[in-house]
Amino acid sequence: MTFRLTCPVCGKRDVYEFTFGGQERGPRPEQDGLSAEEHFRWTQFRLIPNEPQEEWWYHGQGCGVWFKTTRDPGTNREVK
Amino acid sequence: MTGYAGDTVASALYGAGVRIFGRSLKYHRPRGLYSMEGESANTFMSIDGIPNECAETTELRAGMAIAPQNVRGDPRRDRFGFLNAFDRLMPAGFYYHLFHRPQFLWPLFQSGLRRMAGTGVLDLQGDYGTGVRTERYLNADVVVVGGGPAGMAAALAAGESGLRVCLFERRRQLGGQMSWRVRDFEGEPLYRRAEALAARVRAAENVKVLTRSLATGVWGENLVTGFTVGTEDDPFRECHWECRARTVVVAAGCMDRPLVFNQNDRPGVMQVGTAWRLARTYGIRPGKSVAFSVADDLGLEAAIDLDDLGVRVRFIADARESGQQDRAVFQALSDRAIPFFPGCAVSRAVGRKRVRGCVLRSLKGRGSRRFHCDLLVANAGMQPRIGTLATANARLAYCAHTHGYQPTELPPGVFVAGSMTGLRDPRSIEASGRVAGYGAAVWCGDRAKSGARAAGRGPSLSPGRASRAAEAAVREAKALPGPPAGCGIIHAPAIGRGAKAFVDLDEDGTYKNVKESMARGLDVPELAKRFAGFGLGPGQYRVAGQNLAMIMADLRGDPVETAHATTVRPPLGAPSIATLAGPGHDVHKRTPLHAEQAARGAVFRRAGPWQRARHFGDDPSCRDEIRNVRTNVGILDSSPLGKFRIHGPDALKALQRVYISDMRKTRPGSCKYSAMCNDMGQLMDDGVVVNEGPDDYYFTTSSARAGATVEWFRFHTRHDGWDYNLVNLTDALGSLNIAGPNARRVLERVTGANVSNEAFPYLACRRITVGGGVEARCLRLGFVGELSFELHAPASCVPYLWDLLMEAGADFRVRPFGLEAQNCLRAEKGHVIIGTESEQRVTLTDIGMGWMWDRENTVSKKVGAPALRACERQPGRLKLVGLRVEEGAKAPRDGTLVVDGEKIVGYVCTTRSSETLGWQYGLALVHREHAFPGRRIHLCHEEKAGGRVTSTAFVISPHFYDPRGQRLRS
Repeated sequence: MTFRLTCPVCGKRDVYEFTFGGQERGPRPEQDGLSAEEHFRWTQFRLIPNEPQEEWWYHGQGCGVWFKTTRDPGTNREVK
Repeated sequence: MTGYAGDTVASALYGAGVRIFGRSLKYHRPRGLYSMEGESANTFMSIDGIPNECAETTELRAGMAIAPQNVRGDPRRDRFGFLNAFDRLMPAGFYYHLFHRPQFLWPLFQSGLRRMAGTGVLDLQGDYGTGVRTERYLNADVVVVGGGPAGMAAALAAGESGLRVCLFERRRQLGGQMSWRVRDFEGEPLYRRAEALAARVRAAENVKVLTRSLATGVWGENLVTGFTVGTEDDPFRECHWECRARTVVVAAGCMDRPLVFNQNDRPGVMQVGTAWRLARTYGIRPGKSVAFSVADDLGLEAAIDLDDLGVRVRFIADARESGQQDRAVFQALSDRAIPFFPGCAVSRAVGRKRVRGCVLRSLKGRGSRRFHCDLLVANAGMQPRIGTLATANARLAYCAHTHGYQPTELPPGVFVAGSMTGLRDPRSIEASGRVAGYGAAVWCGDRAKSGARAAGRGPSLSPGRASRAAEAAVREAKALPGPPAGCGIIHAPAIGRGAKAFVDLDEDGTYKNVKESMARGLDVPELAKRFAGFGLGPGQYRVAGQNLAMIMADLRGDPVETAHATTVRPPLGAPSIATLAGPGHDVHKRTPLHAEQAARGAVFRRAGPWQRARHFGDDPSCRDEIRNVRTNVGILDSSPLGKFRIHGPDALKALQRVYISDMRKTRPGSCKYSAMCNDMGQLMDDGVVVNEGPDDYYFTTSSARAGATVEWFRFHTRHDGWDYNLVNLTDALGSLNIAGPNARRVLERVTGANVSNEAFPYLACRRITVGGGVEARCLRLGFVGELSFELHAPASCVPYLWDLLMEAGADFRVRPFGLEAQNCLRAEKGHVIIGTESEQRVTLTDIGMGWMWDRENTVSKKVGAPALRACERQPGRLKLVGLRVEEGAKAPRDGTLVVDGEKIVGYVCTTRSSETLGWQYGLALVHREHAFPGRRIHLCHEEKAGGRVTSTAFVISPHFYDPRGQRLRS
């Protein structure tokens, strides 16, 4: 399977140029009083929705920017 | 054997009188030339030592070595031919249930089966990678799959609209089926019409024509893959293409749908196109006396054409009762004295090693008649080549009018044209190509215009004109004849008991096997495929697919419309593995000191992206290099070390996030050693950080992490919007490490800076001038456990520094050392290498580096800190320990297991016999209950039938050498 992603700097490029950074899970949780379970839930647990989700991608073979995009894992396509 | 330019291996063999090309997979039945397009495995041969080359599509070259395969001896007299008589013992899926019990016999059966049923022999000593394999990546507005009349018309229409077009055609020439048809059409023979079109396509500036090029699949967002087989004039033997297309026009055409009748695999039974092309393309008389059993007008046309060429046509049977539409063909038929039997089909081929006759039957009545012939041309009409559409994820359904699969829903930007839509009239076929070509232009929209103008290409249509042209093309196509009715014959009559009617030639799958599969409840093609192997072989449903689906629908008693198209899997044709593997360039980086080290006899090894000196000279154990560093002075090229600058108002915040220590404690002029963890608390990287001014830091990473560091920093600060700049200086700066008790004395000779222990203590960092002009960062570190200075300087200056130090150190007999010596030196010191003494199961604290962790700091939200806290007191964790192997005991190796009775409780990461220490030491990860000094542990070297080979070792502190670090500080 192959598709393209829209880098905010470089435009539409082949997915080969990017590294996946996972779903958007919000910012790193505060560590004061953070339980192990909460920590591992944030780092490890993933939902697998059959609908568009917000994701992070890194344009490593290009400009080196991390950006967020909305993509449907069912079709692999970005959703505008 | 000789042939003509343009011959394929198969046509040359046929021309030379060869009729039996190979033996079938399961029953070892003789097989002949059935298709001309690589649609069956009958003609798979060993060509120049490469097995499974398709003789039908491989062009003949001088000096080829061609050998049959899947035979013992001569394909005409095959030793396993007797298997054919035992077919009753080999029902569908026989090897799944027959040979399973008793289980201990299975290996025996398996090896025998492999030998009998193999498809070619691979010579493991052979060199299959010869010739240039290359790959190219294209971008196109339109990729046209198929260079027949529709594909060419589409390419011309799209090219005219200013689009960049790329056309894939598997054959060596354009024109498709029109290229061998001679019938008169609008005043000229069809092949002339094809030639004229082909000339226009080749002349079109923005159409790239790839012949001998098969499109192997359409992937996400219209990425088309394919490969070109090079000729002697090409710079490559095979070229892999990946073409990112905005639109794809599929005009892949049709192929014969095989007629399923008794003994339909005999040599001498062939497709309409095969006989026709042998005669017209290759100028070979396919047979002396030919019988035709066809089901469409194209078959009739072929029969008449062969008759015109002087081949004796015994009869023409047409499975259609009526509906012959092509009046000209029908007229030509009546003009000749060829017996014509509508509503009839051949039900059996007579003859064993080649066809000697056939039995013709009426599809309705009971009448049958026997004929003599030496060639039997049979099909059940034409079926569309749906492979390309299927890989593009088009939705396909059986069309009861054309009796073929037709797309009901096309993916975005995919168009379909030509005879595969059921069209037969040449004008309609070309018009459908134009509709698709202009349709693609409209799809591409405005960019077609602007792109063409920018590139200064020839005539172009504005989007408005493109859509008007598209509308005109649609109107034109509508006025032309549509698809005629196809023939829905499922199989020939009388193929019941005792018949061998093959549905899949490649896998020896018969009509009877379909019934057996049905009887076991596996009543849809996808299940029969797994059970009896239909379509599993090289054919991959391309030939057998539609027949199998139709037969199964028929046997279920369902209407034929329910025949589901099964999945066609890419690649649609087979490029060689060597081509897929790519050209195999070893892309690596060389350090600035590569030449200097090579001149001193360095043996290079790949380490990450780098070629690094492993050792110098021919002693891989590096005894002399190690001794020289311990007692004198050595130089190491450490240029691959990651080197970075981070600056900006939020630089410290970023360092605090990714480093596990308190980074506020970095001071100007000194190095702070620290480490990075991931969210699981595992050690990812270590290095030193130097404070070089307000909000300005210089830091090093391990060589392996240099490439990932920018990504890592930016990922872990992505939500914070911090203002910092990170610069990767790894390649811009080279570095070398001068280490050993005499290091200072050598350095003093090349710099005026004060490098005494008082002015330049351990872990200090200074900018010094070396050799009268090179400004270098000098870091006093001690990875190898001795007094050492690391010089970081612009890469272009590093060779000069190397020469300078070598010269200055000549009196001390300075010598270079490599990675292996460094590895031993650091291991003696108990310094870890990430990935060698650390792994997924261990955290920073497990490997004894927990002292770095700034546990009070929760505000910075350090990556890995919560995990370190959670794992700190967890039972059953692995811990890093030192080992001292008992005197005289068998020496372990890197990776030797540590056992406790039957349990594995760890393993040895690195172990060496040390001259410095005088004994064999090791670094090992063992369960915490064994991880205390003085513990005796057992090493398991090997486990074999007679028992284990074990030895013992004692757990000690991993800091074997100079545990108090006096030498570093000296």
